[in-house]
Amino acid sequence: MAALVLPAGLLVVMLLVAPMALLARISLNRFSPTELMVEATTAENYWRAVQDPYYQQVLGTTLGVALGCTVLALALGFPAAYWLARMESRWKSLATILVLFPLLVGNVVRSAGWMALLGNEGAINAALMGAGITGGPLPLLYNGGAVVVGIVAVVLPYMILTLAAVIEGIPRQAEEAAANLGGRPMTVFRRVVLPLALPGVVAGSVLVFILCMNAYATPVLLGGPQFKMMAPAVYDQFVRGNNWPFGAALAFILLAVTLVLTVVGSTLLGRRYRAA
Amino acid sequence: MGSLVLEALSKRYGSSTAVERVDLEVTQGEMVALLGPSGCGKTTTLRMVAGFIPPTAGRVIIGGQDVTHTPPYARDTGMVFQSYALFPHMSVAQNVAFGLEMRKVGRAERDARVMEALRLVRLDHLADRLPRQLSGGQQQRVALARALVVNPAVFLLDEPLSNLDAKLRGEVRMEIRALQQRLGLTTLIVTHDQEEALTMADRLVVMERGRVRQVGTAEELYEHPADPFVAGFVGRCNLIPGRLEAADAFRAESGALLHCDSGAAPGPAPTGAALLALRPERIGLAPDPAGRARITAVTYLGAQTEYHVEQDGTALLVARPTAPLGDPLRRLAVGDAVVLSWDAAAARLLPAE
Repeated sequence: MAALVLPAGLLVVMLLVAPMALLARISLNRFSPTELMVEATTAENYWRAVQDPYYQQVLGTTLGVALGCTVLALALGFPAAYWLARMESRWKSLATILVLFPLLVGNVVRSAGWMALLGNEGAINAALMGAGITGGPLPLLYNGGAVVVGIVAVVLPYMILTLAAVIEGIPRQAEEAAANLGGRPMTVFRRVVLPLALPGVVAGSVLVFILCMNAYATPVLLGGPQFKMMAPAVYDQFVRGNNWPFGAALAFILLAVTLVLTVVGSTLLGRRYRAA
Repeated sequence: MGSLVLEALSKRYGSSTAVERVDLEVTQGEMVALLGPSGCGKTTTLRMVAGFIPPTAGRVIIGGQDVTHTPPYARDTGMVFQSYALFPHMSVAQNVAFGLEMRKVGRAERDARVMEALRLVRLDHLADRLPRQLSGGQQQRVALARALVVNPAVFLLDEPLSNLDAKLRGEVRMEIRALQQRLGLTTLIVTHDQEEALTMADRLVVMERGRVRQVGTAEELYEHPADPFVAGFVGRCNLIPGRLEAADAFRAESGALLHCDSGAAPGPAPTGAALLALRPERIGLAPDPAGRARITAVTYLGAQTEYHVEQDGTALLVARPTAPLGDPLRRLAVGDAVVLSWDAAAARLLPAE
């Protein structure tokens, strides 16, 4: 049986573990503007990333966007997931496909669509100005709000489908029993549905948080040049600055922060409701 | 505590009818069973009483109050679900306490009433367990305690025994009935198991395809079934198609002439096509080489022995208490000739469907 994981295991070793190990080694090298990468064993790249206010701010922005998007996706996704999970009609499979629909469009194409919608000459501003509601264009594009909207639209399907799978496993009769005992709909949700859906909330949030932390195309295209998140910053170092050691260090910081927050967050969330 | 009244309660889904004009009154402290095959509308009726399904027409009245349009959480009913529907993430005590919390009962009183309810079902020693750590029978008793602890005006049971094994079912049946009588609970129970209904309920409501066929005590339904469906569903029954030839003679379609007492049934005797209803245990049978009936099968069931008999082309089931060893009845085998006898009053005439 163990042999069954061999092909996938080999692929992971070759395409993930090996490059990661290489990247880890590179992050300890020294950068020289003339020779580019100099063999060394130093933590100076990490020090610089941690101490530089610019990169502190980039990491802060990334965290803010990722947390905001996760909370928003959860708030928007839960009602939709509940509706989908409790759906009994023959339209259920169609509804599931509709939820997946946004994923059929690539990130770049989707962002282009948002730009056409939110830009200064975009559909929304054109409509607002045409109707005489606003005199000039509203700054809808190239800010954090545009990035959050763009990312949430991508991650929402993941959140909804993860939650729906768990909610489907909650017996409807448990909800009816709670109502029969005098629980109003909000109480039934808080005391019965939410605690039982918690594994889905944790799984969906972790998945979405990781996707948000590593978002690339959406922040670049909808955030504009002034708005920086970690993934584009890593790309800049590798491709524009040719500074592989520093780019590698940034990549590992992003990885570590994502990992730590994911583990801490899911543990806390899990424990809180298990106690209740 | 209170009574339950259903007035012309109906539920239609598009063009199909799930429940059609059900009228019923369950008086204070009475236990009534909704009995019928699956899909007869009994569960839909119960769920309309609980408020989970809005009726298409008619009214639900609990304790004199019209609750037809009241949401489930504001109706004073205590329901035990077929699957028990315990909250899997709460302990036994938390499950039972839920209804009291919803009614804002203070902590001290709540704890006391939870323990009292658990003592009632003899589970007070398992208060801190989770539902999944209990056996099916224990989970069932938690569900009972959870519904009872709030003193509901109406107690609702949805096939409460169907997930228990046969031995346990008998015990729990007696236990629920004893609790219901001791606490004087107005109770509506749904079941497809006639034995369950006969042993537990004061009155039975036999339903079929959304309609009430007959309401009565176990004895009334068994002795005086209103129609062939009830006769066949409550207890077993030989139903022989044919027509009445004289006040005491019934001509079966197969040609056999069977004696009956058409005056025993209330109302005028049917004149056209009819059915003769004859309980298997009301038919006597004796070995007789000159008898016109032949045995086609014998099934020994311990306390009872069943004989499949054919007389003049009419197949009949006869059930007799197993005769003592040495009795000539014990030697009856397939192919033997017998003579059948029954009291004319035991043969009821029913309208053909």
